[in-house]
Amino acid sequence: MSAAVSVASTSVPPAKAASPWRTPVAIVAAAAALAFVPKLGLPAFYDSLLYLILHWIVLATSWNILSGYTGYFSFGHGAFFGAGIYTTSTLLSRYDWPFLWTLPVAALVACVLGVALGAVVFRVKGIRGEVFALLTLAVTFVIGTIIVNTPIDGGNGVSLSAVPVPAIGPTPSSTFYLLALAAATLTMLVAWRITTTKFGAGLFAIHDDEDAAEVMGVPTYRYKLVALGISCALAGVAGGIHALFLSYVTVGEVFTITVPLTVVLMSVLGGTRHWAGPAVGAVAITLLLYSFTAANHAVAGKAMVGVILIAAILFMPDGILPRLLKMLPRRLPIVVAGALPAPAVASAAGEVLLRTRGLAKSFRGVKALAGVDVDVRRGEILGLLGPNGSGKSTFINAVTGHYVPTAGSVVFEGRELAGRAAHLIARAGISRTYQIPRPFPHQTVLDNVALAAMFGGGIATPAAARSQAMTWLAFAGLQEKAHAHPDELNLHQRKFLELARALASRPRLVLLDEVLCGLTPSEIDDAVALVRRIRDQGSTVVFVEHVMRAVMALTDRVVVFDHGELLAEGLAAEVMQRPEVMTAYLGQPAVEKPNA
Amino acid sequence: MDTVTRRSALGITLAALAGTTELVRAQPGAPIRIGSTLALTGPLSATAQIHKIVGEIYVEQANKRGGWLGRPLEWTLKDDQSKPDLARTLYEQLVTADKVDLLMGPYATGAILSAMGVAQRYNKVLVHHTLGIPALAKYEMQFPAWSLGSDPATTVPNTLFDALAAGPKPPKTVAVVTSKFPSIQFMAAGAREVLKKRGLTEVLFLEWDFGNRDFGPIANRIKDAKPDFVFVGAIGLDGNLLLDAMKKIEYQPPQHFYLYPAPGPLVSLPEAKNALSVTIFEEQLPFTSNAGAAEFVKLYRERATAAKLPDPSVEVQAAASYTAWQILEAGVAATKSLDDKAIAAWLKANGATTIQGKLRFNGTGNYGDDLMRIKQVQGGHWTVVWPKEFTAGGAKLLSN
Amino acid sequence: MSGFTMPSATLLAQSVLSGVFVGALYGLLGLGLSLSWGLLRLINLAHFAFAFLAAYLCYQMASMGMDPLLTLLVIVPLFFAIGAGLHALMARFAITPFNSLLVTFGLTGIVEALIQSIWTADFRKLESAYGEHRYKLAGLYIPLPELITLALAVGLSFAVWAVLRYTDLGKALRASAEDAPIAAAFGIHQRRNALLLAGTCSALASVAGVCLALGFTLAPSQIYAWIGVVFAAVMLGGLGRALAPLIAGVIIGVSEAVTMAVTAPSWAPLVSFTLLIAILLFRPGRAA
Repeated sequence: MSAAVSVASTSVPPAKAASPWRTPVAIVAAAAALAFVPKLGLPAFYDSLLYLILHWIVLATSWNILSGYTGYFSFGHGAFFGAGIYTTSTLLSRYDWPFLWTLPVAALVACVLGVALGAVVFRVKGIRGEVFALLTLAVTFVIGTIIVNTPIDGGNGVSLSAVPVPAIGPTPSSTFYLLALAAATLTMLVAWRITTTKFGAGLFAIHDDEDAAEVMGVPTYRYKLVALGISCALAGVAGGIHALFLSYVTVGEVFTITVPLTVVLMSVLGGTRHWAGPAVGAVAITLLLYSFTAANHAVAGKAMVGVILIAAILFMPDGILPRLLKMLPRRLPIVVAGALPAPAVASAAGEVLLRTRGLAKSFRGVKALAGVDVDVRRGEILGLLGPNGSGKSTFINAVTGHYVPTAGSVVFEGRELAGRAAHLIARAGISRTYQIPRPFPHQTVLDNVALAAMFGGGIATPAAARSQAMTWLAFAGLQEKAHAHPDELNLHQRKFLELARALASRPRLVLLDEVLCGLTPSEIDDAVALVRRIRDQGSTVVFVEHVMRAVMALTDRVVVFDHGELLAEGLAAEVMQRPEVMTAYLGQPAVEKPNA
Repeated sequence: MDTVTRRSALGITLAALAGTTELVRAQPGAPIRIGSTLALTGPLSATAQIHKIVGEIYVEQANKRGGWLGRPLEWTLKDDQSKPDLARTLYEQLVTADKVDLLMGPYATGAILSAMGVAQRYNKVLVHHTLGIPALAKYEMQFPAWSLGSDPATTVPNTLFDALAAGPKPPKTVAVVTSKFPSIQFMAAGAREVLKKRGLTEVLFLEWDFGNRDFGPIANRIKDAKPDFVFVGAIGLDGNLLLDAMKKIEYQPPQHFYLYPAPGPLVSLPEAKNALSVTIFEEQLPFTSNAGAAEFVKLYRERATAAKLPDPSVEVQAAASYTAWQILEAGVAATKSLDDKAIAAWLKANGATTIQGKLRFNGTGNYGDDLMRIKQVQGGHWTVVWPKEFTAGGAKLLSN
Repeated sequence: MSGFTMPSATLLAQSVLSGVFVGALYGLLGLGLSLSWGLLRLINLAHFAFAFLAAYLCYQMASMGMDPLLTLLVIVPLFFAIGAGLHALMARFAITPFNSLLVTFGLTGIVEALIQSIWTADFRKLESAYGEHRYKLAGLYIPLPELITLALAVGLSFAVWAVLRYTDLGKALRASAEDAPIAAAFGIHQRRNALLLAGTCSALASVAGVCLALGFTLAPSQIYAWIGVVFAAVMLGGLGRALAPLIAGVIIGVSEAVTMAVTAPSWAPLVSFTLLIAILLFRPGRAA
């Protein structure tokens, strides 16, 4: 297969490829325009009001970089914001630092704090979802208590009224406004940029299915730490600026559940999947709260805010921004598929590609794999058979790093892989499909495959990866569905998506886990043909299957597992006749048939 | 209507020509606008509502008398939602957008400091009600209505221990327990210094996190320490919660003092018998004979009851609030202007006569004397018990 | 600076008891929240607002002469209806758990404003006969309101646990929480069960509210004072479980109380939350 395949878009008119620099230019231009506001001679309070809005934009957007993108909802943003506040206030009040120099230090302190926390927390499996939220909230209270009990604050608060505000703008208020404008611009640019990079794609994959992402080659631990670090650093800067704005900081104002709750509110209201969503939410909520400051009906105003929030969320569950964007005409980008890579040179076909020795995996006493020795030869299609519960899926999980083996070795192309992180195994050239397809639900079909191309296959930019991905979609016959979401596909298509995804990383070894289950006979024929094409273009295939005619048609050799152990090995037709194999599948014969 | 419009246009043109708002001589009849914020919603709203009522009473009374300088008063009040950063922004709005003539302070130390920063930037005089940390009041045109004196951490405990020493059972051992709230903590630290200097023994010192809910262990430790006297650095509910906890273990301190409790709830608690506190004003002689006091007390009781406040009597917050308005009026009336600098200069030189008595502002940070008196819960009412000149009907300090 | 002081045995025991009592209240408050989050997939911030609303209603009725515990007869059914009704309204919209956080945050603001407009922002304390009684056991004081709270917390937690574990309704609820479409396919009456559960969570909040009224001083802003620690208890125990919030709440309460008994009370949050962090990091991995 060769030559470019272009997307025939469905009913949506194709658009010219938008310049990727359109967005940052727009952001910077807007910021430059806003920088002139202080010169307009408006009453200074507008500077302060805008400062507050920009301040919350920084906080919400920075929160979203970790929590919205990866799905690790943190309730600890107050801790990092507070760390920034107190770093600046300590440097200003005790050490007489110039204000602007405290800001990078505030960012650094908050970042180090966050990364130190993340380094421990992200290592522990199972710290997801609510547990992560609680941990981060607990950290907020811990840090607050430490600060209030030590000379950093000591309980009396820190007064910064004697500190001169640098004259960046015509008035002090405009100085804060300009500083916050700079911080907000930086934050928005960072948030946007992340979404266009491989890093951002990885974060979104973590959000959808962290385990699958890891197995596909996303270095999840490292990426989460980086996202957390960036998020905290930006919050630290916001804190540093805010310290001087307040000019009197107390622990009770900062280390509470209010800041984290507010940023969650703003981001969810605006839309967490979009880089600009939190900013929209920040503007909306700040203005909403501000508009009810007239004294006459302050209490009623508070109730109104509640009503408006509820209405907004109920009618715009994905957030304001996505709802607004839906109203714009949708234009699908044209993605041109690249050429299918040439088949891997059949060097030494028949040499051992993968060798496991004594590979074992136990789960609290249950021996799923009891020590198996398997050789997989380059260029073959190896069938992995056995009754249910015999350890076939466990084998695949152990080889790909989804599980850490309890014992044994896995040598691939001469390198020991057992015990290594799953994403490194993926990078080494092994990929797999899941028996029940696990596509990333919020990404398009194309992006699902592109992810594999980037992470397992090592392609550096999303654009190039998408091009590659289109090739593999065409290979699997799914190019029409490139811009659909996985929930729009039927089972057969989702299985093929799994295959395309497995291939996009250009693996030398593909492990297929019951790819035919649930398919109709004609779909099975298609799948069998595809598996053959997979081997023909250069990958070795290990193929877990129950459908016997496929096994007979496709495999060069088979191995049979039973109760976690290797039972038999050899040519398919021959192995299936062996009595111990038949017993394993069907049980002992009940009665001797008279005319056997 | 036309005359007013033309007059206002003239006024605005003059303002534009003059260039600064202070020199605008708006036409007689145009109201004097006073701007401030209060924490009408949020955690501080319980006390801020008192300041709202007092302000409304004051403005009404003033307008009945013909206003200030013959012009009616108009109060522009905004809700800072208990957030100092919002208070700051709103004060800037009041000064630069709404262009009010004069400012009045907000409620609670954080907001007051924010407002002070704004006032300083625009050279506006700021009279405030209840700033708890005089050492932070560094702006020369701010004036406190709460007469703490410039070193309350020393003077207030001294007054307290004087009262105790003159009472029936002068204490020898003291337990100091306090919240780590900024305006409380330094006072408790001062109390510790003072008691040491006076030769008393500190048998227990505890600090709790502001927002603590469980006072059981703290009550237990106080009981274990067997002090003659307990100094409680309480603010808001703390005092009540501690007394509740002490009641549960059947402990009644021989003598006890609460720094800034929410007064109403404390006085109605049976366990608070003989609890001491501080005040600058109570509804009794000799305070009620001060300028404007009697009428104010009556009006406040009416309004507070109508607003369903559990305790409609005037005490520190309401008194400081009313005093603040009186101070500002004094400055305006004496200088016959709305010029902030002139008002500030006059106040500093002359002080003001208020329901707290004669106040002076020529000390450190514009603070004058420490006018804090000691009061005690007796028979379900607050009664001033020290110094003697401020007691009524022979009231004396009692002990349990 | 307070160092470590060795407390007397009585002090320590009384403090532990105090921690148990306040922890029981955390648990009672957390019970409805945990069920709602774990089984209905709704993070109900308004739970606290409802508890306080119930507390104020109890205060109001008690001030008019009714026995505070008898107010439960009125309050519990009322809040059951409110909870079910609200859920019926919200179920029309597809809400993710974190969206429900927002919606209920809005609701909290509304309820808080309502409370403030009726009862003002001032502090209210219910003075009842219950508050006057206490028992003495082995030198330790056991106040009656706290004992009632503990009894209610334990009793209700066990009742809910038994229902979840042994009754068909309980199994149906757990099944729906794990996999709603499949549960429905098995004929589980999800809408009806969800309404029942939502009503129950509200009713549980109202019981907690009455306990609050019995033992604590009330103010509208106090709603937020409990959120942090009760969330901690709920998440520590794991969602959708009946006994866990109580146990977790008691752990948190006792750890704070013991800290306050032996060293500077202002360090208490550090100890309880560090303990929390440690437990979360080192306990065997549990699916939430």
